Amino acid sequence: MNKRHIVRLIKAVNRIEDWLLISMLAAMVILAVTQIVYRNFSGGGVVWVDPLLRMLVLWVALSGAVIASRTDNHIRIDFFAKYISGKYYFYVKRVVHAYCVVICAVIAWYSIKFVQMDYEYETEAFAGVPAWITELIIPVAFGLMAFRYFLLLMSPPRSSKR
Amino acid sequence: MIAAIILAVLVVLGVPLFIIIATSALYGFSSIDVDLSVIAIEIYRIADTPVLLAIPLFTLAGYVLGESKASERLVRLTDAMLGWFPGGLAVVSLFACAFFTALTGASGATIIALGAILYPAMKQAGYAENFNLGLITSSGSLGLLFPPSIALILYGVIAQQMDIGEKVAIDDLFLAGLLPGLFMLMLLTLWSMYKSTGMHIVRSEFRWSKLGAALLESIWEIPMPFVLIGGIYSGYFAISEAAAVAVLYVLVVEVVILREVPLKKLPDIMRDSMVLVGGVLIILAVSLASTNYLIDTEVPVRLFEFVKSKIDSQLTFLMLLNIFLLLLGMILDVFSALVIMVPLILPMAVGYNIHPIHLGIIFLANMQIGYFTPPVGMNLFIASYRFHKPVTELYTSTIPFMFILMAAVLVITYWPELTMYLVENKGG
Repeated sequence: MNKRHIVRLIKAVNRIEDWLLISMLAAMVILAVTQIVYRNFSGGGVVWVDPLLRMLVLWVALSGAVIASRTDNHIRIDFFAKYISGKYYFYVKRVVHAYCVVICAVIAWYSIKFVQMDYEYETEAFAGVPAWITELIIPVAFGLMAFRYFLLLMSPPRSSKR
Repeated sequence: MIAAIILAVLVVLGVPLFIIIATSALYGFSSIDVDLSVIAIEIYRIADTPVLLAIPLFTLAGYVLGESKASERLVRLTDAMLGWFPGGLAVVSLFACAFFTALTGASGATIIALGAILYPAMKQAGYAENFNLGLITSSGSLGLLFPPSIALILYGVIAQQMDIGEKVAIDDLFLAGLLPGLFMLMLLTLWSMYKSTGMHIVRSEFRWSKLGAALLESIWEIPMPFVLIGGIYSGYFAISEAAAVAVLYVLVVEVVILREVPLKKLPDIMRDSMVLVGGVLIILAVSLASTNYLIDTEVPVRLFEFVKSKIDSQLTFLMLLNIFLLLLGMILDVFSALVIMVPLILPMAVGYNIHPIHLGIIFLANMQIGYFTPPVGMNLFIASYRFHKPVTELYTSTIPFMFILMAAVLVITYWPELTMYLVENKGG
């Protein structure tokens, strides 16, 4: 696999992440609105919609966080880092990104255990949907974030936007 | 101790906050021999909190509104109503900014969207440059206390997780923010009226025809705040339902009826708005874990006992709280500050007999000033970027506004009735 393939692969992953997020958000809006309409016309909403909406909040939030890692756009305190001079800043960034890879990977690893547990106990989330499926986003999102920070570590963006 | 130093180093190096909070949770749980998959259980609690649904929905509505020309119409409408006032356009700016910030949640958007219209207009009308810049920069965070402020929702969510005995309902928070928010607006209005007497300002005349035209062009947007606020306060909508209605309404009006936001742009807007939501909620998610660890090891209780042994009056506590929050607001944005500090401060405040709702308003009122406090308030940089002015010029121009709002914060802090009056006397 040469460099061109990797670039193409990353672009494909970007697009998949984007569209997953957008479709989940669209589903969230549509479900939330129909639920209100339903509640007003038939007295009660559809039972499984509320837990599904809550699950979507988790999925949308974590997907948004994954996309934020793509450009290293997470909330941080950059008050002090401003005073680190350009030459050292580059090294500091590498350390920071390496550290992010480690923590995200650790969380991904332990989330797999969590998902596995609910898989073995066959816990149900709602309406027959097994809990482990709804939990799957946690290891996936943290795994993807580890991957994103790994990419940033390997090829830091040229223009150092600070 | 070593752990604290390591965390401090991570902060200084600019490690993302969610990584730092996750580090402390992982470290904490492993030190008391709890299986680390507990962190996933805590993150999953995001899916157990029904109100959170309001945050992505209101944010999306705000982003779509920010992309439309609603900001221009809002300025024209406010001008038609208030432009004849002494202080003229300055007062218009204050009201329009507060309103727009409340509706769009994120306050950086206000300076970019409204500043582009108000700054040149005020310049042309003859306001002094310094006053103009200061006013717009400091108005960018004015709506933080008005519904449906996302910061208020987030405070409610965190306070509800804390189980502190008293119920912290989000619609009560919305009521509580009204009078303090209006009070801040009123002080700034008086100041603007006073300042503009010295300047030779062209005031616009009040004309019914102008008002009629402005009302007519905003005919689609005007019902929205009434539907939302009315719906929430009357108990007809839950907060998250109001958010769903807001999204639907904004999409129908701006995309379908007025067609100011092209359908093609919608996916990008949706993605960008959720990057913001994801950034905030992932911090909330990992801090549910770290907060749980803190509570398990009784850190808030011990912290309270320690503080109580040093400070015995509520007054001193509040004074120190104000100073602390102002400093905090200078280096942290409002969302991270809420998530990190409320779990520690809330139990203390309750111990000093401060109502949780009152604390929430104090917290946000301080944070609002932090947005434009030199040297690092976020809005200073947004304004500097937007108006091509050196940040130092913005420092000097915002100072009078900062002092006025600090005075307002003192009143809000030491006069709890201002906050609690509407909550305690709500209808029914």
